[in-house]
Amino acid sequence: MTAEHDRFVEQLAAYVLESLAAEDRAGLEAHVAGCAACVALLAEYRAVVGTLPIGLDPVAPPARAWETIRARARSGRRQSAASRAARWASAARWPAVAALVLVLAGWNVTLQRELARRAPGPAPGPEVEALSRRPGRIVILKGTGQPAASARIFVAVDGGGHLAVSGLDTVPAERVYQLWFVRAAGAPVSGATFRPDGSGRAWVKVAVPTTLDDVDTIVVTEETAPGTTSPTGTPLLTALPWR
Amino acid sequence: MRAEALVDAGDHELLQRMRQGDESALEALYARYGGLVYTLALRIVGDPELAREVLQDTFLRCWDAGDAYDPARGRVPWWLMGIARNRAIDLLRSRPHQARLREREPLGREAVERPGHGTPDDAVLRRAVADALRDLSVPQREAVELAYYGGLTQAEIAKALGTPLGTVKSRTREAMERLRRALGPRLGPMEGTSP
Repeated sequence: MTAEHDRFVEQLAAYVLESLAAEDRAGLEAHVAGCAACVALLAEYRAVVGTLPIGLDPVAPPARAWETIRARARSGRRQSAASRAARWASAARWPAVAALVLVLAGWNVTLQRELARRAPGPAPGPEVEALSRRPGRIVILKGTGQPAASARIFVAVDGGGHLAVSGLDTVPAERVYQLWFVRAAGAPVSGATFRPDGSGRAWVKVAVPTTLDDVDTIVVTEETAPGTTSPTGTPLLTALPWR
Repeated sequence: MRAEALVDAGDHELLQRMRQGDESALEALYARYGGLVYTLALRIVGDPELAREVLQDTFLRCWDAGDAYDPARGRVPWWLMGIARNRAIDLLRSRPHQARLREREPLGREAVERPGHGTPDDAVLRRAVADALRDLSVPQREAVELAYYGGLTQAEIAKALGTPLGTVKSRTREAMERLRRALGPRLGPMEGTSP
């Protein structure tokens, strides 16, 4: 096998994941067309990629989805929902949204990585693993009172969430950090209390309000243990806009 | 013919019947893979309403263009997953996704219940895939997941993670190799020979 063949083999994994740069695809496809070894490996990789969704926790489709499909199939009046969505997205907002998706995706995996690497403390269990894999949104908190600190809240679309923090100072036994959902009207809602470990990291499950629509901001303050009913300290972490 | 009568029909037979306008074949295909398509779509777009749009578009495309399936490129469910994934990634990239999440209706109970279908073999394979993914290192898994579920190129992954591009490439390759070794024996003879 040649060095060129080895280079194409290196690209096959990205190719089947549709992650290979467009400028590399044509060259790879030309090579594969004449390379039995790559054809075999490509087929095996395709089988692997084809089974990846099977590893997800199954979610039943909405009960009326089939009726809609059948009705459209019968009428022949197929109207692509995706096409409608693409029209809504009319050009101006698209670059910013694409960039946001990219960044959020990165944050999401960074969160999972942080969960897995936090130390000391137990490794994430199945519950954490399952929670981190559910669809949802990420809210980023930046260190306003402690500039080296940062945090991410993962809010699952079907409720629940967790908070991963890094870079926070340790606190004495009589003090805790407390996460707050500060609402435009009404009292702030406590989402969690926690103490970071010796390396400034913490992971904690969060009680997320039913809706974030009336939440003005999300902050972390330092409070008296075991926590208070409303924030008294200065915000040490403050959420970036998530809307 | 009723869809129940096609429960034992092969995927290729269902596609062939669909090309002849047999609606029960579409229903049987939906019963077989609708849950998986919806699960994948929901994992990518994170929004039940968008996921339902992806689900509907996927099966309507099968109905409209069943002859677009190329057996040389793999099995029918892989083709379906490919359609669904591409639809979902398109949506993810082409609209204010986070804003849509904010607007969403709360999930109904029906959407979080486990599907009622699925054979014991399905459950075994599901466990095997989940185990194989869990056995990857976190960086390897995130490389695969950002590519497959995030629709990101290698360069975009490198940028998102602040990791050198070469590292992302090697992690992706290592991850796929580990998955291939773990899952290959369970997947049987490999079909698909064309790029």
